[in-house]
Amino acid sequence: MSERTQKRSQVADVDRSLYDFTYSEEGYERYDDGLTPEIVRAISAKKDEPEWMLNMRLAALDTYHAKEMAPNWGPSIAGLDMDHISTYVSPRTNQAKNWDDVPDDIKNTFERLGIPEAERESLAGVGAQYDSEIVYHNMREDVAKSGVVYTTIEDALHDPEWEPVVRQYFGKLIPPADHKFAALHYAVWSGGSFVYVPAGVTVDYPLQSYFRLNAEGAGQFEHTLIIVEEGADLHFIEGCSAPKYYEANLHAGAVELFVKDGARLRYSTIENWSKNMYNLNTKRARVGADAKMEWVSGSFGSHVSYLYPTTILQGDRGQCEFTGITFAGATQDLDTGCKVILNGADTTASVDTKSISKDGGCNTFRSSVVVGRKAANARATVSCQSLMLDDISRSDTIPAMDVRNATANVGHEATIGRISDDTILYLMSRGCSEAEARTMVVGGFANPVSKELPLEYAVEMNNLIKLEMEGAIG
Amino acid sequence: MADTKPAAGSVTLERVNTPPAQTWNYLRTNDITLTVPFASRKGDVYFALPRLFEGMECGMGQQVTDWVESQSADAHYVEVRAGQKRTEPIVVTSMDTGVMVRAGAEATVVIATNNEGVLAAGRSVLSPASSAASKAKRGLSESADKTEGSAASTQHSTSAALVRIIAERDARVHVLEFVCANDERQHIESVGITADARARVDVRQFFLGAATTAAGLCCSLDGADARFELTCRYLGRDDERLDINHVVRMRGRNGRTDIRESGVLDGRARKALRATIDLVHGSSGSEGAELENVLVLSDDVVNKTMPVILCDEDDVAGNHGATIGSVGPEQIGYLADRGLTQEEAEALYVRALFDEAVIAAPTPEVRATVLARATSVLGAEVARDLVEGLGLDSPAGEEA
Repeated sequence: MSERTQKRSQVADVDRSLYDFTYSEEGYERYDDGLTPEIVRAISAKKDEPEWMLNMRLAALDTYHAKEMAPNWGPSIAGLDMDHISTYVSPRTNQAKNWDDVPDDIKNTFERLGIPEAERESLAGVGAQYDSEIVYHNMREDVAKSGVVYTTIEDALHDPEWEPVVRQYFGKLIPPADHKFAALHYAVWSGGSFVYVPAGVTVDYPLQSYFRLNAEGAGQFEHTLIIVEEGADLHFIEGCSAPKYYEANLHAGAVELFVKDGARLRYSTIENWSKNMYNLNTKRARVGADAKMEWVSGSFGSHVSYLYPTTILQGDRGQCEFTGITFAGATQDLDTGCKVILNGADTTASVDTKSISKDGGCNTFRSSVVVGRKAANARATVSCQSLMLDDISRSDTIPAMDVRNATANVGHEATIGRISDDTILYLMSRGCSEAEARTMVVGGFANPVSKELPLEYAVEMNNLIKLEMEGAIG
Repeated sequence: MADTKPAAGSVTLERVNTPPAQTWNYLRTNDITLTVPFASRKGDVYFALPRLFEGMECGMGQQVTDWVESQSADAHYVEVRAGQKRTEPIVVTSMDTGVMVRAGAEATVVIATNNEGVLAAGRSVLSPASSAASKAKRGLSESADKTEGSAASTQHSTSAALVRIIAERDARVHVLEFVCANDERQHIESVGITADARARVDVRQFFLGAATTAAGLCCSLDGADARFELTCRYLGRDDERLDINHVVRMRGRNGRTDIRESGVLDGRARKALRATIDLVHGSSGSEGAELENVLVLSDDVVNKTMPVILCDEDDVAGNHGATIGSVGPEQIGYLADRGLTQEEAEALYVRALFDEAVIAAPTPEVRATVLARATSVLGAEVARDLVEGLGLDSPAGEEA
C-alpha cells in the first residue's frame, strides 16, 4: 500500500463472515440450468398452479427471449449466463410453522442470521425462504385475528378466498413486459410473500421476510405482493443474504405494493447478497389518496445491482419518503436509486440517499422524478450525498426530472467528495484520535439511514458497514 | 452519420446531443433526433480545419460534427497570436469554425443566429430539401413527432454552427452565443473547447427563440488550474423546442467549473437540459458546481432536467442543484402589494432575460438581433423601454 493510500480514510469493508457459510445441497431438488418452456412448466406443475398462472409464465418467457437489454444502460452484466443458472433449487422439506420442524442445516442458517430471535423479540410474523421455497412461515395469533393475512403467494393461490385477489393484483403493477428481467421473474418466480392488511388495521410490530440463497449457480425469484387497505398501517422488513461463490448467482425478485387511500406502508430492506450476485430486482408501489409510502433501503452486497424502487403517487395528497444508503466495495458495481411519479394533486416526495465507495467500488445513483399534468402543487425534493474513500473508486449521480405542471415545485441537490481534512483536523484538535474522527464522520454520514431502521436492524447495518477505522496516522 | 437510410436531400441524425452517462431511455431525456437537409458534395474539395481540431469532443457529438463538415463550405480558421489581447470579437461566419487562442492571448468568440441563420454566415443556412424529398421526409417527420425525443424539421429551414476552440495555457476566451430566431427555424449549434493550464474560459449562452434549438457544448479542462464558467439563459414559448447538452471534462488538477443555467418556459414549450461534470481520474483538487433554476408558466410545458456528476477521483468536490417551479404564492402576494399582477410579474422574468442578452451583445448587429426578438416576444414598446432603460444608443424600434 502506498504512503498516499495509507493516509486516506480507512474504512473496513463489509464484514461478511456472518453470512459467508454454506451447507451441502445434497438431496435437494435442483432443475437443470437454463431457461426452457419445460422448466417453466415443471415449476408451475410443482406448485400445482391455476392455468392462468402457467399461461402468464409461458408468455413471460417469450417476452424474456424477445427483449433486448438497452446498450446504453448501467453496469455490465456480461458475466451473467442464464445457461449456467438453475432457476429452481429446493430443499426437500415442507413449509413449517415451528422452527423445530425445520431441517437442522436450514434452521442453523437462520439462527446464525438471528431470525428466530428477532421473531421472538420484535416481529409480528416471519417468512424465511431458502433458495426457491419458503421453509418457515408464522405470524402472531393476535395479528392473524385482526384479519391480517401473511402467507406465501403459492398458498394464497390455493385458497379460494385469496386466489381471486392474487389474480387481481399479481403482475399488475410490474407487468412482465416492463423489462427483460421482469419477464424472467414472471417466467420462473418461486416463493415470496403475500400480505393483506384489512382496512383500518394497524399492525403494531413489523412483518419480516428473509431470503437466503444457499445454492451455487442458482437464481432466486421471489415475488412479494402486499395490499394495505384503506386506513391500514404496516411495516414490512425484507432481508437477504447469500454465501460467496465464484460462480454467478442471480436475484430477480419483484415487489408489488398497493397502498390504498389513507394507508401507510413502510418497506425496509437490508440487502447483503454476496459479491458473486447479480441483483436485478424490481420494486414498485402505488399509493392512494392521503396515503404514505416509506422506503428504507440499505444496499451492501452484490457484484452488480440494478435497484430502483418506484413509487407512483396516484391519489391526491399522497406522500413518499425514500431513505437509502449504498456501500460499494471491491469488485462491486452498484447502480441504485429510486423513481417517483407524482400524478395526484398536492402530492409530496422526499428522497434522501447516501453512498460510500471504497477499494475500487463503483456507485451510481440514479433517480427520476416525474410530475404529471394533473399533479397540481406537487412538491419533490431529492438529496444525494456521496462519499469517496479512495482514488480508485467511483461515484456517479444521474438524476432526471420531468415536470409538466406549472404549480409543481421540484428541487434536487447532490454532492460528491471525500472526508475533508479540515474536519478531521478540527475533531483531532478537540481530542479525538484520527481514527475516532474518521469513524465519527462516516458514522454521522450513515446515521440518517440507520436511525430509520428498527434498533436491531440498525445494529445489523452498523455491523455490515463495520466502521472500523485503522489508525492511519500519516 | 445515421442508422436509417435517409430520404433524398435529408438525413436523420439519430440520438444526438447525448450526455456521457444516460438515464432511463423511456424518459426520452437522453438525446434528440433531428432531420436535417443533406446535399451530397462528393468530389468537391473544401478548406478544412487543421488536423489539430480533429477528434475534439463537441457538445452535440461526432454525428453532428460529421454532418456539418460534410455540408459546410470552406471551414474558417482564426488564430489569435500568443499574448495578443484581441478586442474585436471573432464573429462566427462559417458553419465550421476553428479558433486557436495561443498562450496568454485573449479573445471573444460570438455565435449569433437570427431568422436568417447565423449572422453574416451565408453558408450556415441549409436549403430545405426538394419537394419530392420533402414528401418522403414528411413521413419521417410525422413518425418522429410521435416521440418526444425527435424534432421534425422539414417544415423549418435549418441553420448550423460548429465551433471548435483551443485555448492554450494562460489564454482567456470569452464565448457568447445568441439564438434569436422565429418559429420557422431549426438551429443546431455544437461547440467544443479545450483549455490548457491556467486557461480561463467563460461562456454565456442566450437561447431566446427558434422552432427547435439543439445546442451542445463540451469543454475539456486539460491543463492544471484551468477555469470554466458557463451561464446559460433560455426562453421557450409557444411550440418551441430546446435541447441542450453541456459537458465539462475536468482532467487537469485543481480545475474549477461553475455552470449556472436558468430559464422561463411558457406555452407548449419543451425543454431538455443535460449538464454533466465529469471529474476524470487525475483531476485531484478540482471542484465543479452546476445549478439550474427553471420557471414554468404553463401546464402544457414539458421541462426535463438532468444534472449529472461523474466522479472518478476522491480529492475533488462536485455538487449540483436544480429547482423547478412557478412564481410562488408568497412572491405573487409580495408583488401584488406593489401593484403587479401575476402576468406582469412573470413578464418581468422574461424581460430580465432580454435585458441580460442586450447588455451582453458585443456588436450592434448582435444587439439588433436580440432586440428584434425582444420586439417579437415582448412588443415594440417594451423593447424600446428596454433599450432606454439600459441607456443604450439605439432605440429598439429602429434597430429591430
